[in-house]
Amino acid sequence: MRLYLAILVAGLAALAGVLLGWWWAPFPIGIAAGVVMARARVAIPIAGAIGLLSWLVPLAAAQVRYGLGPTAASLAAIMGFGHLAVVPAILTLLVGALLGLAGGWLGSAARAVVASNARVDAARNG
Amino acid sequence: MFTLPGVTAQSAVAERPAVQEAVAPRRRRARLPLLNLAVSAVVSAAVLYAAFFPASGLPALGPAFNPTTGAWTMAADAQVTDLSLRLAGLQQPVKVVLEQDGTAHARFRLFQMDLMRRQGAGRLSEVVGKAALDSDRFELQLGLLRTARLEWGQISQRLGEPLVAYAQGVNDRIAEAESAHQLDPMFTLLGYKPQPWTPVDSLLVKGDMTQTLNFTDTPLVMALLNKSLGADLASEWFPVLPPNVQALYDLGPYGRPSIAPIASGGLVSDAEAASASTLLTRLESLPAGLVSKGGASNNWAVAGARSASGGALLAGDPHLHLTLPSIWFQLTMDSPSYHAAGVSIPGTPVVLIGHNEHIAWSLTDAQNQQTFFYVEQEDRNHPGQYYWKGSWQPYEDVTYDIPVLGGATEHLTVKQTVHGPVIGERGQTTSVWWAGNVPSWDLQVLLDVDRASNWREFRTALRGWLSPTHNFVYADDAGNIGLISAGYFPQVAKGQPWLPMPGTGEYDVVGTIPFDDIPQVYNPPDHIIWSANQRQVTKDYPYYIGTASNFFDPGYRADEIRRVLSQPGKLSASDMQALQTDTHDFLGAEIVPVLLQTLAKAKLNAQETAAVRLLSTWDDRMEMNSAAATIWDRFWTSYLDETFKPWWKSRSVKVDMGELTDALGQDLETWTLHDPTNRAFSAPGVGSRTATDAQTSAFRKAISALARQLGSDPNAWTWGRVHARELENLAQVSGLSYGPRAERGDANTPLAAGGDPSTHGPSWRMVVDWGAHMFQGIYPGGQSENPASSWYTDRVDTWWDGRLNPMLSAEEASAAPGIRTWSMHP
Repeated sequence: MRLYLAILVAGLAALAGVLLGWWWAPFPIGIAAGVVMARARVAIPIAGAIGLLSWLVPLAAAQVRYGLGPTAASLAAIMGFGHLAVVPAILTLLVGALLGLAGGWLGSAARAVVASNARVDAARNG
Repeated sequence: MFTLPGVTAQSAVAERPAVQEAVAPRRRRARLPLLNLAVSAVVSAAVLYAAFFPASGLPALGPAFNPTTGAWTMAADAQVTDLSLRLAGLQQPVKVVLEQDGTAHARFRLFQMDLMRRQGAGRLSEVVGKAALDSDRFELQLGLLRTARLEWGQISQRLGEPLVAYAQGVNDRIAEAESAHQLDPMFTLLGYKPQPWTPVDSLLVKGDMTQTLNFTDTPLVMALLNKSLGADLASEWFPVLPPNVQALYDLGPYGRPSIAPIASGGLVSDAEAASASTLLTRLESLPAGLVSKGGASNNWAVAGARSASGGALLAGDPHLHLTLPSIWFQLTMDSPSYHAAGVSIPGTPVVLIGHNEHIAWSLTDAQNQQTFFYVEQEDRNHPGQYYWKGSWQPYEDVTYDIPVLGGATEHLTVKQTVHGPVIGERGQTTSVWWAGNVPSWDLQVLLDVDRASNWREFRTALRGWLSPTHNFVYADDAGNIGLISAGYFPQVAKGQPWLPMPGTGEYDVVGTIPFDDIPQVYNPPDHIIWSANQRQVTKDYPYYIGTASNFFDPGYRADEIRRVLSQPGKLSASDMQALQTDTHDFLGAEIVPVLLQTLAKAKLNAQETAAVRLLSTWDDRMEMNSAAATIWDRFWTSYLDETFKPWWKSRSVKVDMGELTDALGQDLETWTLHDPTNRAFSAPGVGSRTATDAQTSAFRKAISALARQLGSDPNAWTWGRVHARELENLAQVSGLSYGPRAERGDANTPLAAGGDPSTHGPSWRMVVDWGAHMFQGIYPGGQSENPASSWYTDRVDTWWDGRLNPMLSAEEASAAPGIRTWSMHP
């Protein structure tokens, strides 16, 4: 239960950061998730999902409020993808997810190093 | 112990096998987390780098695509809603009514405005990288920024106040857009924020327009033609006065006797030609718009005496590069001091073309020569100096730093002479005298025009107009009409101003034509006036104003406009509208009958016979469903090639013939109609020929090429299959352009559509009927530069169909359905 609560808090924190214009928020939140959660196989995907959702929710809200079709088409044209409006949308979500994933991985890796050192010390000490 | 085939070895640590085997995997296990951390750190760094910094042509992905403050805010920006704003700079409350037109420049065109000021100030490289470096170097050399600063330093309070107030309004909008994260997405994608707007920026934008319309390279082209063709042929084929008959609007009598005639002849030296060639190559490599390539605009007026409504009629359609967003922004200014409606250029606080409560006006480019090149005399014994009026003068150096995105800052030193800046130093040192570098208060003139209420006030206001020289057409609510080519008409002391001239002082620009002597007419006896970039005056005009070739238009649009307006009967606003989209090719109407006579004597194959049949029933209109229009167009191009290409080849002419079709076309028209045995038809290598021989050969080649391109049936060679128009995105993003779409018209028709695809044409159409008190206008595009907005292209179809929208007064706009209102308070 505590795990789910922690995930919810982390997700809301990342979303709040993105809404405030701190688009990089999924990265430090991901680090925190990686450090706090014991298993990397759980922490990294969750951090990625938090990153994805924290960028997806505002985008979905804008879609509901304004409609993003012409904007996506325009961005695709500007980026040189012709009329493939889906490209900027995918790229956007990919950035959010990658920020979370990278943060989660880095946090987990740091945690693993600390844990490993602790084990070695414990082995040496008997 | 380990075993290899045929070998048995004793382990070196055989004494402590248990301990050794346990520690080695543990070390490996201890290293794995470190390796994992290192790899995750590298990946994180890569993700963060891509998120924070632009790379490989992509913007910084984080700020660019984040959904709350990045480019996606384009969707919110595309909405226009009612607003109540508090603006620090206001003295009185202001109501901005946004019907389908919208108003405030900065709200809808901030990126366009920023691009224009950056272009003039030589600061494009700062945001787009070294691709814009050539443009920046040239602009700083030419001196738009120096001139704008000079103008601001000497500005009157009368013009200074509106420019300051305008800048304040733009800056309020920038601040608002930044706080609401609604800056144009191009700022986000390019990764920069707009600097505050200043009055100098408005003067720079005006300078950009002047440059686009009247900074020409014609003297350099003429120097190369002179060198390769020889002085005789060059002066015969590219004369000062047009060889063909044109519809001039000011027939005289003129105010004063002729001054000394302009000398002709004289060969350009090898060194001069080489220098001109180098400089021309540089100018031709610059982005479109920095060097004027000939104008094309129409305007005309009909006095109340000839109008069905009893009031004067006025029509205007300036032809410019058609872009999205458009160069124009439509607005109506209603305040205690101004009641003007029409189009403005984003970045400037004036209505350039439009009407007020009493008068209406429009403009075409007057095309007179405003750019003069000087070859400076230098000497090894006088480094850093040039010879002028009997003594050695030091160059004045001005230095600039050009920041370059992703590269080192470029340092540029500009050398200045009494004539103007040095813009070419390979071979000979060439400086340029350009009217756009004369400090002017043209924006004040436009503010005065916006407030004029009769011809006297209109004309008085235009006394101060310098550059670019425009044919200002006028019609008022009392039924009067007028036309005046206002601006600077530079005069040189002596020499051949259509070629680069020695910079030693004897050939300097010494003044301009007095205002009362410039071409103008008021209430002419036939009650009609017109201009379409043609020469304005007859051969008796006592001043040099430019040569027929490349400065003035060949005159076919003017001929057609005069032909239509001269027909008997009263004219209405709908007649004006129809004439603006007229596709009658005046040159075709002249030449095709001669061609048919020629071909009647020739032996033709079945395809050629079918093509002749189509031409013989053609109505001379360049309509999309007309196959004859295609045949005429391709024949004329082939006829030009047939006549002139052998000369180009034999004389090794380095100027692209395609750049000279207007000038050569006038010659070919004249020879075809009046001089069919001209020596031009007998080029070296083709033997003795006449116009008839050239026409027959050109026709056969044209038909053969068309069959290869469009199939064997001439009936299927419709104009719409080979001719299109495109509205190009201003930032050169092809996916945000409109078209290419099949289009009627050509370069000679009032509905101007030269080139394929045609990218220039009627950038704004306006028709005014003072009798019916009806004001209409349209431009191709929309008020918003935001491609996600419905106002990006909402006017294109109306424009394409040749229809017009009503130009609403502020009162009418307030009552229009679907309006949005911004209430602004101090």
